[in-house]
Order: sequence, then structure tokens, then C-alpha cells
Amino acid sequence: MADHGAGPRATANPEIDITDLFAFPSPERPGHLVLIMNAYPFKHIEATRLLFSDAIDYRIRVRPVRIATTGLGAAFAVGDNECFFSFTFVVPKQSDGKLTQTGTCHSPLGDIAVRVGAEDGAHGDGVRVFAGCRLDPFFVDQLFSGGLRMTRKIPKITGVNSVEGQNVLSVVVEVEHAKLFGPDAGPIVAVIAETTTNGSFRARLDRVGRPEIKNFIMMDKAADAVNRDLDIRDLYSEEDGFKLRPDYLGAYRARLNGSMAVYDSLDGKTDWPLDDKGVHPLTEMLLADFLVVDMSKPFDEDGYLEIERAMLRGAPHKTCGGRWLNHDIVDSLLTILINNGNGPRISDGVDQTAVPASRNFPYLSKPNPMPPKLAPLVGIPM
Amino acid sequence: MDAFSSCASPRTTDGTIALSNLEAHIDGLELSRCRGELDSPAWSELIDLITLRAQIRGRIADYERASALAEQCALDAPADGLGLLTRARTRAALHRFDEALADLDSAERFGSPDPEVEAERAAILQAVGRYDEALALRRTAAERRADFESLAGLASLHAELGEITAAETWFDESWRCFRSVSPFPIALLEFQRGHMWLRHGDFKCARQWFEAAWGRLPAYAQAEGHLAEVEYELGERNGAIARLRRLASVADDPDYAVQLARMLAETDHLDEAGMWCEHAEKRYEQIVARHPAAFADHAADFWLSVGNEPQRALSLAKLNLKVRNTPGARALFARAIIACGDMPGTRQRH
Repeated sequence: MADHGAGPRATANPEIDITDLFAFPSPERPGHLVLIMNAYPFKHIEATRLLFSDAIDYRIRVRPVRIATTGLGAAFAVGDNECFFSFTFVVPKQSDGKLTQTGTCHSPLGDIAVRVGAEDGAHGDGVRVFAGCRLDPFFVDQLFSGGLRMTRKIPKITGVNSVEGQNVLSVVVEVEHAKLFGPDAGPIVAVIAETTTNGSFRARLDRVGRPEIKNFIMMDKAADAVNRDLDIRDLYSEEDGFKLRPDYLGAYRARLNGSMAVYDSLDGKTDWPLDDKGVHPLTEMLLADFLVVDMSKPFDEDGYLEIERAMLRGAPHKTCGGRWLNHDIVDSLLTILINNGNGPRISDGVDQTAVPASRNFPYLSKPNPMPPKLAPLVGIPM
Repeated sequence: MDAFSSCASPRTTDGTIALSNLEAHIDGLELSRCRGELDSPAWSELIDLITLRAQIRGRIADYERASALAEQCALDAPADGLGLLTRARTRAALHRFDEALADLDSAERFGSPDPEVEAERAAILQAVGRYDEALALRRTAAERRADFESLAGLASLHAELGEITAAETWFDESWRCFRSVSPFPIALLEFQRGHMWLRHGDFKCARQWFEAAWGRLPAYAQAEGHLAEVEYELGERNGAIARLRRLASVADDPDYAVQLARMLAETDHLDEAGMWCEHAEKRYEQIVARHPAAFADHAADFWLSVGNEPQRALSLAKLNLKVRNTPGARALFARAIIACGDMPGTRQRH
């Protein structure tokens, strides 16, 4: 699942678990960049009762990038400038019989106070923010995606959304792109989401760029030529996504090369020939693990990975790239990994959530209100 | 030795937020269970969360609820390793150690992950005084993966053995490995550390750790109860009594009433002491009847102290010793024998 439970630490500590990152040009306000981070996935909690941690900094980082090289070995050049949107929350207060929580978005355009769950969000100079519980916009059939990894075959479709009705805690930013890096900066930005500790000692707890890098690709140990007994994902999540340390790069490369070669083999033909060192053509591109958005292009629902794939082909990209909420990244990614678009679309049979996202701020659908509150239970039920 | 660690205290989610999320999670899972929507991992999650709430809130009703759910879960799916592992935890919580160990053997046969089973087994062996076996398992776990849980396990074992220096080292090490913001594991660790210093007779050190745990999680009843105990020993009697009055009036665990009665008696508030003593007696009679092994030690201690019925204490201390042959259980049994020798069959009340 996108980045749900992507590693032992996130599985054991759902409050730090970033499930998804989205970045796209605003469909309703051209020139504005929308950034969305979802965290804390849960199916069995009443939507209004879940609160953000006051010990976590929910942070979305943005840097300008440019296309450095194209063709095989295509790469981005990531700028040193960085803008970040850091959401912190305070201890909730009792109000009208319920807990009310507030927070602050620390943005490069100033701090913005936000009340959790306020539908209209809060405004600042050139920036609008939202924080609250929403319906998890991700959709996947885990029987399909997991079955594919376990059996090394393309399974039959059952078409059940494994996260149907699940809620998440979301932070949303809509910012005027021109105000981020000044007029001289190019139109392309790279985006990463992180949860870090919010004390004097700061530690990165989880980090997400593209969806399913950790789960679809890094979770599979069996095809790794170097580490076959290591869940490498916690190590990877601790890294600065804009600058991976050289210490573990070899291990990450080995994991991606082996895992993606397995995907490529599933239809019985090779669409991604490895080089003489066994390197998959997508490995370096995916290890530049951030969403890339070209703000000079209009909103496009299906831009996910289009910029990166065009770069690999040595062709100019046509869309804004990034990632839109309703885009079926499971089908897109599996199709790319298995046949590189040279065959039929590989589908898990789940094409949308029950309530797709809207094109209006805060974009994410309202949370599933269920389960409703229970009467208190005391002792052993009769 | 500087008992209060020089390690920076990890910042964790505020106790109100964490407890609200925990309660909401439990309620949601309970509702899904009523609708028949829970799979095996979700059943175990529900039971573990209720047990966690029991540890924090100190509610016996929660331990009973977790136990009832775990028994039902294992009955419905007798070959589910996870269900058996979960039942082992709830049985161990109620001191049904032999049954818990048998569950762990079965869980292992039905495919529960070895490290999880071994961690539970180590905790039970430690609880029943089989320290060498527990230490071997704890060391293996720490060598396999030196993370927060495995190092905290080593710390708790050394603490129980009274090996303060080793325990402090491992407490610090486990703290350093903490990579989360949940207050629950850290508060539980701070409580264990306070308990170690309390047993060692260093009330100032104990107080620091109980205060740390209670400050992190203000709903942590056991931490506040022990904090009151050390405050009393340090001469802050009125504050300690006020804390215990509040705790005893809402708790279904009579331990707070016992401590309160003792303090009130020692400060010459005999009428109120007698009231709390009666309250504790009634409650112990109920819970010992339901869970004799789980409450034998505390009930024996009650009847040896303010309850003042040594014969009754002796039979419970004997049961406790049968369940777990630890130095503490042996000392309790010895106290009961001596008390019976001093005043056989007599009963004096405050």
C-alpha cells in the first residue's frame, strides 16, 4: 500500500506512519502548488476522535529541480534552496464536551494558525492550509499486489479495495508557486514528506517521496543479491530523500535491481534489460525518491511518472507530472514495472475509492464517519 | 551514582492525545468485533490495546475484558498462532503462568514468529523466578536485535534481580534506541525504573522516575499510586493521602485503598482508615475469588498489614509461592508464617 506500514517502525507506530504524499498544480487556482501529506491510517476509529501528535513535526519539503540529463542515466539536479511547510500541533482543549485541537503551519511565507478539522482551512499570504481527518484516498487490492510478489505470477483479479473506508490524518498546503523560490527559479519542484520528532533532539521517523517504492519494490527481499534477510525500509526512511548517504546506497540499489527485475519477468518478456552490472534502468531514477511537479504545465490527472519516463526516453515531457489524488498509481506502476507500457495495462481491478477526491480545496474527501461512538463497555460481556 | 539518567528524555505525544487515540481505537475495534468484521490480527490488536489500557488506567475490568476476548478468540480459532500468543499474554497478566507457557508452545507450533514467542516466554520465566532461563532468552533477543524492546527486557530483569548498575545501563541503552513518539512504552519503562529504586529503598530516585512516568501519562494510575507511596515516605504525607483518596475512590483495584488505609492509620485518622480497609477487604474477596493467582500476593499483603488476618494471608501467600517461586514470594510467605506464629487465629482491626 502506497506507504502504509512501510517498515517495522511505521507498522508498530502508526502515528508516525506517512501513508501518502501528493503534489500537483491546483486545478482550481492556476499557479498554485498543492501539497498533501497523509498519516496515521486507521479503519477502526471514529473520525472525530483522532488527534495529531504534539510530539511530531509533520513536514513537507520542496526544492527546485531541473532536468540534468536525459536518456539512460537520466537524472535531476536538485537545488540547494529549500522551502518547507512544517505542521505542529498542541495539546487539545476540552470545548463543548469534545476535544478541540489547533496547530501551526510554519511556512516560508509566515506562520499560519490552523484549527484541526476546519473545512475552510486557514489562509496566509499566498498560502492556504488544512489539517484534519479525511478519507484515505489510496486504493489497492492487496490480494493482487501481495499475491504478485508472493507467487511471482500475475494473480486473478478480485477487485476489493483493501483500504476501503479507512481514514487518515491529513495536512494540505496550497501555495502560490511564484512566491516559493523567486522569479529566477525554474518551474520544476521536487517534494518530500517527513515525520520527525518535535523536540530538541530531532530524528526523522518516516519519509515518503513516491508511492510504493518501499512496499512494492523494497519489501521483496528474495530477489536481492546482497541482503536477503534485511527489511531495509526503516533504514531508507531515515534518510534525507534529497541526499541519500553513500553508506547504504549499494544496498538500496541491490534491492531495487533485484526486485524490479522480478516484476519485469512476470509477463515472460524483458522490457527493462539490465546493464552488464545488473543495474535496472529505473533504479537511479527511483532512488531520486521525490515527487516532481512542473508548474509551467496545467493540472493533469495522469501525470504521475510522466516526466521521469520522458526523461528516460530522451523526450520532452508533456504533463505537470506530480501525483493527483485519484490517479491509479498501482496500475500505473505495475504496468511500468512489468511491461514498460509495451503490453496491456496491468490492473489490480480497483480503479478508485468509494468517494473520489474533488477538484476543490482541501481536495480530499470527508472522512468515513464510522464507526460511531460506542456506549462504554465495562467488564466481561454477558 | 546519578540515578536519574543523563540521557535526554524522549519527547512523546501528550498523554491526553495518546489516551484519546487509544480509547477511540479500542471503541472502534469493539464495534467492528460486534459486527463480526475483525480478522485475527485485529482481534489481537484489540486485546493488546485493552491490556495496555489496563496497565495505564490500572483497571481490573480491562484485564478481565482482555482475558475474556482472548479466551473466545482462541476457542474460535484453536490453530491460530497469533490468537494463542495473545491468549498467553492475557493469561500471564492474570498470573496463569503454566497455561500461558502452554499457549506459547502451541503458538510456536502454529507458526507464531519465534522472537515474539520468546519475548513472552522470557517475561513469564522472569515472573515465576526462573531467572537464568529468562536471562538467556533476553540476552539472545538483545544480541539478535538490540532495539528498545529487547534492551528494556534486559533492564527489567536486572532490575528485578536487584542488579542496579546493570539495570541502569540497560535502561539507558533502551531509552537511546527509542524511535517513536508514543508515550506508553517510555512511561512503562520509567515506572519499572522507579519501582526498582523503590525496592532498593531510594525514595528520591524512585520519586523522579514515578514523576516522569506520571507526568508523561497523567492517567497512569499505578505510577501515581507509587508516587504517593514515595511522597509519603519522604514526609509529604498530606499530598500523598490526597492523591490516594482520589485514586481509591475511582479505582476497581483495591491496592490504592490499602495504601490509603495504612497511611491514614499511621496518621491517626482511624475512622477513615477503617472505612477504606473495609472497602479493600470486600473488593479483595471478590477479585481473589475470580482470579486467585493474580491477586494472591497483594491480598496476602493486605491481610498481613491493615487487613490483619494472618491466617488468611498465609493461605494466599502459599498459593502465590506455588504460582511463582520468587524471592518476593518467599519473603511474603515467611512474613505470613511469622505473623501467624505471633497471633494465630486472632483478628484485630484498626
